[in-house]
Amino acid sequence: MNLSDEQVLAMAPDESSRKSGKDLANPAKWVSKGVSDIALWGECQGSGSKPYQTQIDTGNMAFKCSCPSRKFPCKHGLGLLLLYSRQRASFPEATPPSWVSEWLAKRAEKDEKKNTPATATEKQPDTSAQAKRQQARMQKVSDGAAELLRWIKDLVRNGIMDMPEKDPAFFENMIRRMVDAQAPGLAAMMRELADISYFHDGWQSVFITQLTRIYLVIQGYQHLSDLPPALQQDIRTLAGFSTSQEELKEQNGITDTWQVLGKQTTEEDRLVVERYWLYGINTKRPALILQFYVRGQSTIANTLTPGNAINAELVFYPSAAPLRALIKQQVTVPANHTFNGYAGWQEVVTAQTAINEVLPLYNDQVYTIADLTPVWHADQWWLQDSRQQLMAMKKTFQHTWKLLALSGGTPLHMAVTGKETQYEPIGVWHEQEYKIL
Amino acid sequence: MEHWHQLINTALLGTAKKPVDSTGMNGPLQQAAHTILAGADTDKEDKFLQLAAVLYNYRLSGTQPVTANVAPMKVCPPETKPYCKPAAIRVLQQVLETESIQLLQLWLEYCAKANVLLPPAQLPVMLDKGWRNKSLRALIAATGGQRAEWLGHFNPDWNFSRVADTIEDRWQNGATAQRFEALKELRATDPVMARTWLEQSWPKESATVKTELLSVLEQPAHPADIPWLESLLTEKSKQVKETATRILKKLPGSSLHEKYWQIVAGAIQLDEYGQVTVALPEITDDSIFQSGIEKLSNDKSITDETHILYQLISFVHPARWEEHFNRNTERVIALFQLQESLKPFIPALVLAIAWFEDKARAVSFMEHSETFYIDIIPLLPPEQQQQFSEKFFDEHPDSIIQYACNNQEEWSLPLCTRIFKYAATQPYTYNQQFMNNHIRQIPVAIAATLDDITPVEAYHTGYWNNIKVHLGRLLQAKSQIQSL
Repeated sequence: MNLSDEQVLAMAPDESSRKSGKDLANPAKWVSKGVSDIALWGECQGSGSKPYQTQIDTGNMAFKCSCPSRKFPCKHGLGLLLLYSRQRASFPEATPPSWVSEWLAKRAEKDEKKNTPATATEKQPDTSAQAKRQQARMQKVSDGAAELLRWIKDLVRNGIMDMPEKDPAFFENMIRRMVDAQAPGLAAMMRELADISYFHDGWQSVFITQLTRIYLVIQGYQHLSDLPPALQQDIRTLAGFSTSQEELKEQNGITDTWQVLGKQTTEEDRLVVERYWLYGINTKRPALILQFYVRGQSTIANTLTPGNAINAELVFYPSAAPLRALIKQQVTVPANHTFNGYAGWQEVVTAQTAINEVLPLYNDQVYTIADLTPVWHADQWWLQDSRQQLMAMKKTFQHTWKLLALSGGTPLHMAVTGKETQYEPIGVWHEQEYKIL
Repeated sequence: MEHWHQLINTALLGTAKKPVDSTGMNGPLQQAAHTILAGADTDKEDKFLQLAAVLYNYRLSGTQPVTANVAPMKVCPPETKPYCKPAAIRVLQQVLETESIQLLQLWLEYCAKANVLLPPAQLPVMLDKGWRNKSLRALIAATGGQRAEWLGHFNPDWNFSRVADTIEDRWQNGATAQRFEALKELRATDPVMARTWLEQSWPKESATVKTELLSVLEQPAHPADIPWLESLLTEKSKQVKETATRILKKLPGSSLHEKYWQIVAGAIQLDEYGQVTVALPEITDDSIFQSGIEKLSNDKSITDETHILYQLISFVHPARWEEHFNRNTERVIALFQLQESLKPFIPALVLAIAWFEDKARAVSFMEHSETFYIDIIPLLPPEQQQQFSEKFFDEHPDSIIQYACNNQEEWSLPLCTRIFKYAATQPYTYNQQFMNNHIRQIPVAIAATLDDITPVEAYHTGYWNNIKVHLGRLLQAKSQIQSL
């Protein structure tokens, strides 16, 4: 395990954990510590009389700590890992103490159980009741979608000129209605509509684009049976129907060495969404792992480390253009710095057109592209490919200077996320190494 | 995009006022629009939304990269020096977390001494630090390499780092901080040449740069600079004039110094009976007051004449008294101590010794004085500085700490212990920021005894403990820098 400070800190659930983790990367804080082939552990003196026992399964990058924090990983886990990345020599190699080995054994047992097929004696669900519930929900969503369509048409009829002056309740009422109609996906799309910055030039185009997307989902939902089966799944997901993770895990997945290209975190009403962008080295396909948790109540079992790689079996959610996946099994492996990717923007837009052909509502994608150079042109930063073609860098991108410093005016292979004409680099291949930005 | 703009216009007004149409569309798009617009069983809003959906997907499917004539970007030249090792970068991360500029300075000094460069990924953070802290600029320029200079072309705030190896190169082509350091370096070995360089470049410099570079001539002030410095008193910039005046005040032989001395010598006379009389004649020369001497006393118990004389004595070289009274140093000091009329001016004499950095007289003065004068301490030999600091610590803790902080040398362990024992009683003054600002002077060895230092007041314990934890991190990082 060879992690940089940035990689460790990228695992932090929030800024305060990051800061506290840094404070705890101090040998004076740790009463004992040790490392073995599969684990890292330490006892951290907190405010109580007994030190907290912090342990990390380095094979699967899982954390456990006896502290009462509900954050994941907690500051002790981050501090211990940070300390290890900085002062490896200060960790004596040892056999894990009983509190570590017991936890590791339990984890192994759990994994084994997970892989054992369910026995026939388990209670079978009542399929007819399930179908009834499903039917009722479909009807509710359909009613909600019809109401939303009426609302949209009213808007279109009266014009959107006065949108910036609208009271927040104008959107809130409809968002609540969509939640009541059990269509959380549509509610989320409406939330995006409400959150548009109406004080920036060009809000009108952003507004109509989002309104059109909502309209497409409504139309898709109302004509669901006419659509290809894979697209039906996408529309259901966009409307807010969830896919059973248990059922997904029963399917065969795709096993590969997946590079963890980057992580993007967003937060809405204390709900934190972590997007991990992966790329399969052999399958040459991207994947998106989503993790959700309420701030301060994280219960995530595994943490992916941006810049690292995992050997994993990924099951993709059903979609016309599968991207989102869940990890069925994973083992952390040494970072793999192989680059596979598109030669330039023309290939990227061709790939996008192919996605759009089957999924007209696709979201941000991840692309690995060779030889991109950040250039300043027409008062903004662009990414120029080897054929001198340009795509704009998102204005919200925060690491322009770091990207520029790494580039020095020379092209770099890059991992970018985005769609259409706006992209954001998340990592670069610099001196034969993949570096997160 | 014309068709999309048309659609937005319709959306702004509303389909009730402006029904959607196919303006700006052609080819298959126009065909699709006609089909939608001809629909008999759809209303105007449906038509708008359907057309919007078509245009949206047309846009998504047909996205093209921009082809533009972008002026080729200047590629950064390759570096000639190696980058610092990964272990040093790990230490740098810890240093940055402490937010101590002094610690960062120590780390950069290590890099500069080892002749290694900052890796590119660290440059934006470091250049930003340099932008906010002038004291780091020369060191960042020395360790930033070609890449830092290259980045400076894109961000004017960072334009303080140029690659220059020789002292002359740094003076000719460096940014202000680099030129300042180059001039300072030369001044230490060849003061006259340093002034000549500055004289030559003088007409090309801005007032701010002139002020900054001129201050180099203060350390040490050199008599050969007097004619040129006096010619600067006619400069337009107030700051330049003030700096030149300050340096001239440090130079016996300058017109200003001689004017001061003439007044002082006229005012203080030793008569044939060994008695000193003090009587300030009327000062008609306004340039005396224009040079910064205050006319009025702030203290009721001190007359305006005494106040003026006090200021003048503090700017007159102490050696002048020996000629004036025809006595050696010890006897001059004795005269000041014994004569009632001179006693009020003893602190002014101390200030003069400190102003002219007169080390020999500083030692003599301390040998013959019962009173402690903090201003003289830095002029004493190191062992005496230590001895006096410890001897007078309990009487003047804050002054001794202030002096110790101004001194760049690392504190001895006993002095540091005393400082911290005192700091523990005043944790709001000697806080984390204080530790950040003086970590250079704090010896790493103090870490072992930090737990023995506790505040007197119980309510200070929590605050002091936080300072101690922070100090622990600073000392750990400092120790790691030293072991690189």
